[in-house]
Amino acid sequence: MDNRVSAGSAANAFERARFTGTASEYFGIWIVNVLLTIVTLGIYSAWAKVRRNRYFYGNTVLLGRAFEYHATGKQILIGRLIVFAFVVVANILAAIHPLFSLVTTILVLIALPWLIVRGIRFNARVTSYRNVRFDFTGTAGGAFVSVMLGGLVAFLSLGLLAPLASRWLNRYVFNNLRYGNRPFDTDPKIGTLYRALLIPALMVVLGLVVLAGLVAIAVVGMQANDPGAFEHDAAVLMIVSGMYLVVFGLIIVYGLAGLIYRAAVHNIVWSSTRIDGQHLLRSDLSRARYAWIAISNVVVTMLTLGLMRPWAAVRLARYVAEHTAIRIEGEIGEVFTQFQTTGAAVGAEYMSMEGIDFGF
Amino acid sequence: MVSDAETVAKGEWYPPHSSGSVPARLLSRGGRLLAVTDEDVALSDSAAGELSFTPRVGSIPRRAVFADGSVFESSDNDAIDAFLRGGGRSGWVHRLEEFHPRIFVFAVAVVLLAVGIYRYALPALVEVAVLVTPPVVSEAMSYSALNTLDRTALSASQLDEARQAEIAARFRQVAANAEGGAGRYVLNFRDGGLIGPNAFALPDGNIVITDQLVELAGGDDEMITGVVAHEIGHVEYKHSLRQLYRAAGVAGLVMLIAGDVGSGVEDILTQGGGLLALSYSRSAEAEADRRSVELMRKAGMDPVAIARFFDVLEAKLGDHASTSMLSTHPGTPERKQAILEYDRILQQD
Repeated sequence: MDNRVSAGSAANAFERARFTGTASEYFGIWIVNVLLTIVTLGIYSAWAKVRRNRYFYGNTVLLGRAFEYHATGKQILIGRLIVFAFVVVANILAAIHPLFSLVTTILVLIALPWLIVRGIRFNARVTSYRNVRFDFTGTAGGAFVSVMLGGLVAFLSLGLLAPLASRWLNRYVFNNLRYGNRPFDTDPKIGTLYRALLIPALMVVLGLVVLAGLVAIAVVGMQANDPGAFEHDAAVLMIVSGMYLVVFGLIIVYGLAGLIYRAAVHNIVWSSTRIDGQHLLRSDLSRARYAWIAISNVVVTMLTLGLMRPWAAVRLARYVAEHTAIRIEGEIGEVFTQFQTTGAAVGAEYMSMEGIDFGF
Repeated sequence: MVSDAETVAKGEWYPPHSSGSVPARLLSRGGRLLAVTDEDVALSDSAAGELSFTPRVGSIPRRAVFADGSVFESSDNDAIDAFLRGGGRSGWVHRLEEFHPRIFVFAVAVVLLAVGIYRYALPALVEVAVLVTPPVVSEAMSYSALNTLDRTALSASQLDEARQAEIAARFRQVAANAEGGAGRYVLNFRDGGLIGPNAFALPDGNIVITDQLVELAGGDDEMITGVVAHEIGHVEYKHSLRQLYRAAGVAGLVMLIAGDVGSGVEDILTQGGGLLALSYSRSAEAEADRRSVELMRKAGMDPVAIARFFDVLEAKLGDHASTSMLSTHPGTPERKQAILEYDRILQQD
């Protein structure tokens, strides 16, 4: 792995990114973040997020320079407070009359595309590389089609149309992304994306067959008993265990297949992305290795009551960075930032509360 | 001209909003800070008070913005800190974060705090929430829950009116001693369909009992009364509301502490919260069992009638399963044991 700091001279050679953070250094940041968050009843979490992101961006080094995260704790706190206030009001209204929950749900659905745009744009604009900020120019209409409709299509087709959704989503995100005044463009081919779905689809089919077999055994076992009884009986116990088996089983099967698929799509999308029409990106994550790191991270984190989480986070960040590369075609030249101000933090905070995080 | 100045740090200088950097040094002279090239060519200068470095996080590069919008960036964190310390302010958060033995104290403190919040603060918050919840909330919840069940799983009872009246009379007898009196509780008869023999309580005091349960009890009406007394206990202790708030509280706790747990871990923690809620529901069942014993005694009926119901379960269904992580209810033999013991304690008083 060659990491020379030479943008111009190494024309036509891919240079890998590096991650320079260490688990021990991040452990200190993380434990203080958690401690202060608890002590301040959650208020510090906004500043904790800033320190965490600054650490990870600041240690991701491409062509000898690190990325930077510029959001402030105050910005993020305000965003969180607005979202929190909305959730509280919506819940109170829903408790007063069920009809209100319908109204707030419709309002959220209408506002969601706009929130998605604000979220991605906020995250882009608070990120810089070599003193130049990223930007995002996508529209709410685009977000509606590519994120919401795409997600719905992938979900309703049980994942069969996921490559289509992946294509919409990534074209929307990358083709609207700017590095200063330079555009990104990507065009992942639908055939390639379907090839990426092959192994995950096989995993899901196999997993479902195994699960169905286990459920069948449980049902037969249940019918050996008298069917039905009072609320405290063996049948209910078996139904409950069966439901847990199915729920956990589905989470594991879809989770695993999702990991493999995500790594493959990440490779395809990044490797078909260009900056300014000429500089090429590349990603060569190994699907098996990526899945192994993600799964063992979760297991180790659980077994150590969360205390190994910093190690896990650094490990994953390092793997992803080291398998991302860029090839500069000729001179990159001087790049200028196009805008001066950043949007409000509300959109981005809604995203992270909902667990939808559009990293790029 | 710059020779009398003190070098603060080495780094790079970026023109405003541009990626074109040059190697530079930051100099401090007469209350002003200036960036100069290696050849001492001046690039930017500002009053020292206008220039502030981004706080130190680990060993990542830090930057300061000049009045003209240009930026000086440096990884020489110690040099910048040494300079800033002269001016007073330095990052106390960063000093806490440094790898130092006290970090282990922090780790222990975090674990203790998390356990403490879960054990003490969360139950207290749940109690407060239950107290301030207006009755209209549980009424609305119960109304919609019963409506949904009637539309999906349950259908009208097949029991004749006389039999319903017999059971309802005994029900009123036990309910008379319950909190709020007999008027607070309503017994509903339904055909359980797929649910089979079952009885459950809604938070507003509506209690549902299925035909199949009445059938399973044979002619033992005290046994049925013992079961509905158990359900009255659930209503009195507001178990469903408590459980709801508990689940919400655990989810909130995960979100509060977990800022950085990672998405996969978050899912698992939420599932783990579900498992913990199940263990809570086991203690709620035991509480309702004891209430059944008390109410039956006060009504002058057999206090351990509900234990006979577990006999029926054991005999008819071969249910000897003991409690497991995944069960909402304690194992039947254990519950019977606990009921008989509680009755003995009450007899001694």
